Amino acid sequence: MPAATPSRPRIELELHDVYKTFEMGGEPISALRGVDLQVIEGEFIAIMGPSGSGKSTLLHILGLVDSEYQGTYDLGGERVSGRSTDELAPIRNQEIGFVFQAFFLLPHLSILENAALPALYARDRAPDECLAEARTRLEQMGLGHRLDHKPHEISIGQRQRAAIARALINDPRVILADEPTGALDSKTSQEILEIFNDLHRQGATILMVTHDQEVAAAAERNVYVRDGQIHV
Amino acid sequence: MARYTSDWHRLLLRFAWDGLSGQRGRSALTMLGMAIGTASVVAVVSIGLVGRGYVVGLIEGVGANLVLAYGTGEGVNPEEVDFDDVEVIREQVDGISALAPVLSTSRTLSIGGQPWPVTVLGVTPDYADVRNIVVTEGRFVTAREDANADKVAVLSPELALRMFGGDPPPDATIRLFDLRFRVVGVVREGVQSASAVGSSEISDLTAIVPFSTLRNVAGLRFLDVLYMRAESPQAVAGVVAGVKRVLAARHRSLGSFRIESLQRYLSLARQVSDAITLVLIAIAGVSLVVGGIGIMNIMLVTVTERTRDIGIRLALGARRRDILTQFLLEAPILSLAGGLLGVLVGAGGPLYVGILYDVPVPVSPASVAVAFGVSLAVGIFFGLYPARKAANMNIVDSLVYE
Ligand SMILES: Nc1ncnc2c1ncn2[C@@H]1O[C@H](COP(=O)(O)OP(=O)(O)OP(=O)(O)O)[C@@H](O)[C@H]1O
Ligand SMILES: [Mg+2]
Repeated sequence: MPAATPSRPRIELELHDVYKTFEMGGEPISALRGVDLQVIEGEFIAIMGPSGSGKSTLLHILGLVDSEYQGTYDLGGERVSGRSTDELAPIRNQEIGFVFQAFFLLPHLSILENAALPALYARDRAPDECLAEARTRLEQMGLGHRLDHKPHEISIGQRQRAAIARALINDPRVILADEPTGALDSKTSQEILEIFNDLHRQGATILMVTHDQEVAAAAERNVYVRDGQIHV
Repeated sequence: MARYTSDWHRLLLRFAWDGLSGQRGRSALTMLGMAIGTASVVAVVSIGLVGRGYVVGLIEGVGANLVLAYGTGEGVNPEEVDFDDVEVIREQVDGISALAPVLSTSRTLSIGGQPWPVTVLGVTPDYADVRNIVVTEGRFVTAREDANADKVAVLSPELALRMFGGDPPPDATIRLFDLRFRVVGVVREGVQSASAVGSSEISDLTAIVPFSTLRNVAGLRFLDVLYMRAESPQAVAGVVAGVKRVLAARHRSLGSFRIESLQRYLSLARQVSDAITLVLIAIAGVSLVVGGIGIMNIMLVTVTERTRDIGIRLALGARRRDILTQFLLEAPILSLAGGLLGVLVGAGGPLYVGILYDVPVPVSPASVAVAFGVSLAVGIFFGLYPARKAANMNIVDSLVYE
């Protein structure tokens, strides 16, 4: 990626007029209704809004997990809307780190294997290298002694850390986190938040869904979603 | 990227394996279904081969490379094989390694004051060899006895039993044609099936005497049957043709003659047993298909259960192709493992029985190969639909799937 000129900050993510409708028992449900969003490279944004307002839906679209919507989406200056799941797979894999609302660690794999998964699917390194990389990252997160455990064998905070390690293993430019502190006590929340602050300082673009005002206060900018629309 | 292709495939195999071992009980049961299918295919082929070998052995037991010629006594002016025919055949027909002309007549013998019909056969010493005769007591008639027209006889076991209550004593005699014949042995057919394959000239109560002896005392002019042994299985057809040629030239027609080999029975027996084996394989094959449907069933359940798992992998950057491969590997792993187990049981079982009862039990390598191939194919075929289903999932839907 060519470096952005310092004078004019580069736009990392741009949604224009995005609509998303779910079918629910034949009934259409409008989850997003004309969303416009610009995110500048290196920004740390907190997305807030009531339950069911469309925050996760928005994050899924930004994370290229959901590619069935109306409107346009440019990521790093490239049009990514309208592309197929497989076309988007490498971008999803390399440029986006997704921390899901419910961790979504694979129950049959060890913490180490879970964290290595995106690197393995990148297929540009030998599996052993991927595992070694995952080990380093997990050790940095203080999970060095839990590498061979299964997700259900470790605490919730540790699971969240493992999920973050997994999201970061391919050094993505954009980090999307869906309520990363929602299930955690305030002390652990603070620790997790510190990880995101570090990433922000290192220049990552971060979008984080949260209900927590304190967490939102740590972000540079807050975006409110209500009834599928964005209110700044 | 290509550098790590083999690593990558190993990894997908690993994922597939993880998936299977995550549900060991279910995987084992599915495998068992396949194992039963392949085991029955391999075992059925073995059973078929044993049966075929048994039937062929019965037929060949009548006499290896046997050709026989006889007059049927049917037609307007029935003709019979005569002594000169034998000499001409001996001189003119190539490929015959032994000739055994047989004379036959019947007499009533008084045993224990009761009259019994007894078949009396006149044979040359070669007869024993050509017809696979087994000497159970004493010996067969010799060339010298045939040349001298000696009055000696060998008996069928039933006749010996009736006359002597078992093996004949050393000085035993039998009275035929008002002459006293010395009993020198007891013989039986090499196989019990001889009469089932065409007609056997040896009946229950039979006395066998030298050819020239019977010719002299009974004044016979025609053969009951002429047996010939061809030098090799390939020579059989030539011998049949040669004998037909000689008989046609020396008689008015071939109409009342029967010239045949056991080849006909052999090929018939082989065809029948092969057909039976095929039918059995088809039945066993059904269980393979049932096993395959079992695999599909399990894979569908697995795909449904692992919906979230698949969604996560896709969200982390797996391509649909990676998911397809992973699931496409699971089914053949199951079916091949089942196939391997099945082959072990299907081949090991018969072999073990064979060792236990000391009988040769053939295991066809072809059937092992086919059973393996079919179980692989079944795995791929029935794994395809669930794998496609897995690969084509909508990511968001599968992530929120409960
Ligand atoms: N897969 C789906 N199928 C049908 N409807 C859905 C689906 N996902 C979300 N929705 C609907 O879309 C709307 C937005 O959902 P979304 O999950 O984005 O909300 P949210 O803001 O993340 O809520 P929460 O704070 O509870 O996580 C809701 O009405 C929800 O019921
Ligand atoms: Mg949500």
